Amino acid sequence: MEVNIYKQNKEVVAELVGRMDTPATQEFAPQLEALTKDAAGTIVLDCKNLTYISSSGLRIFLTLRKAAAEKGGRVVVRSIRDEIRSVFMMTGFLNLFDIE
Amino acid sequence: MERHLDAHCEAILHEYHDMLPRFRETAADVHKKLKQTFAEAGLVVAALESRVKTRDSLAGKLELKGGKYKSLADITDIIGIRVVTFYVDDVDKVASVLERLFDIDWENSVDKRKIHEIDSFGYLSLHYICSMPDFPYRFEIQIRTVLQHAWANMNHDIGYKSGVEVPREYLRNLNRLAGVLELADEQFSIIRREISDYRRRVKALVASGNLDDVPLDGDTFRSYLDLKPFDALNKRIAAVNQAEIQEVSLMPYLTIFKGLGMHTLGDVNRLIDVYGDGAYQIACYQIGLTDLDIISSSLAPQDLCIAFILKNGGGKAGVRYIFDMLSGPSDSNDMIAEMLTQQASGLPFMNQKDKQDGK
Repeated sequence: MEVNIYKQNKEVVAELVGRMDTPATQEFAPQLEALTKDAAGTIVLDCKNLTYISSSGLRIFLTLRKAAAEKGGRVVVRSIRDEIRSVFMMTGFLNLFDIE
Repeated sequence: MERHLDAHCEAILHEYHDMLPRFRETAADVHKKLKQTFAEAGLVVAALESRVKTRDSLAGKLELKGGKYKSLADITDIIGIRVVTFYVDDVDKVASVLERLFDIDWENSVDKRKIHEIDSFGYLSLHYICSMPDFPYRFEIQIRTVLQHAWANMNHDIGYKSGVEVPREYLRNLNRLAGVLELADEQFSIIRREISDYRRRVKALVASGNLDDVPLDGDTFRSYLDLKPFDALNKRIAAVNQAEIQEVSLMPYLTIFKGLGMHTLGDVNRLIDVYGDGAYQIACYQIGLTDLDIISSSLAPQDLCIAFILKNGGGKAGVRYIFDMLSGPSDSNDMIAEMLTQQASGLPFMNQKDKQDGK
């Protein structure tokens, strides 16, 4: 898995590439959780090239969501693939994020 | 502005100048104390303002009626606090807070609400002259509603600031307006009381279980959710994968349930009774063969809605409606709806008689 984080306009974008399985999540958790410092604004999780997400990945998404809720920001899940959308549906996560 | 003040008034002004830092400090303290007490009492006010009279304003007052005051301590509005409430009932509530916090000089406090004759309308405000230990001066706190505040400001602006004597007919119109605002204030309070009564009645009905008598709306649904009606189903689903349940707001389902034609909390409760097994079967089919060990508390109502729609012939379009409502319209929701419709067609609940009507 690869994670590319960059700023675009006023948003912080985290581009997630590949499989977000448990080992990958453990590897990239510090980098992704560091995004909480930007949680007062908009954090975009670009999932265009995310092909798989495990429970650990969902937990990272939730951590960001919680931080955004506390700081008045928002988390946008962008370009979500059907496979990931299905996981969101199966777990009841579909209405937890702004999905674009 | 140049003022013509005698020695007595100059002495009062001198004392004011010496005490000014103390006045400012006390005004800030009183402001802070009130803000804190209102917050603790759950009392929401529209505005809380404080000011210390300016030197020029005091000089003007002394020039006009300096002889009336023996000392600075006789002037009670050097510190002025104003509390503006949303509701007329809250004026008395604020007053009771002040009575608890400060010593009230009843002789000099004025309830302008009581000075009007039955056929006159105009300035309505409660003025308390207050004092507190360790501060040798009194201060004034005015309490009024937003509408009273608006009227007082407009009256002041029109009546005093124009520099031209205002014709009687205009003043009469202003007073007629005061009557209308008094009525409006009363109506706001009545509406608030009625809403509070409604909420209490709804809570009682929800608690007593007479859910068919409770219309489905924002207030009632929130009270219903306090009973955690979807918890048992979520736990049942979570047990499949020993999953943790992430609690989230279920208020978005209000619109969905209404869209599905539900009118009372009884309708929602029946959804759980009648379609709980179907929702469980859908969820088991979805996550049973995965290692997903986290779900949101939104899963139970989501799958209940899907079971309801499929069982009642809503098909793919109906399921898509749910997902469009939950995550916004998307063509991908069509794919999910298609997949779910196909999967569910082979599940037991789709091939069993309806629990509710025995079909």
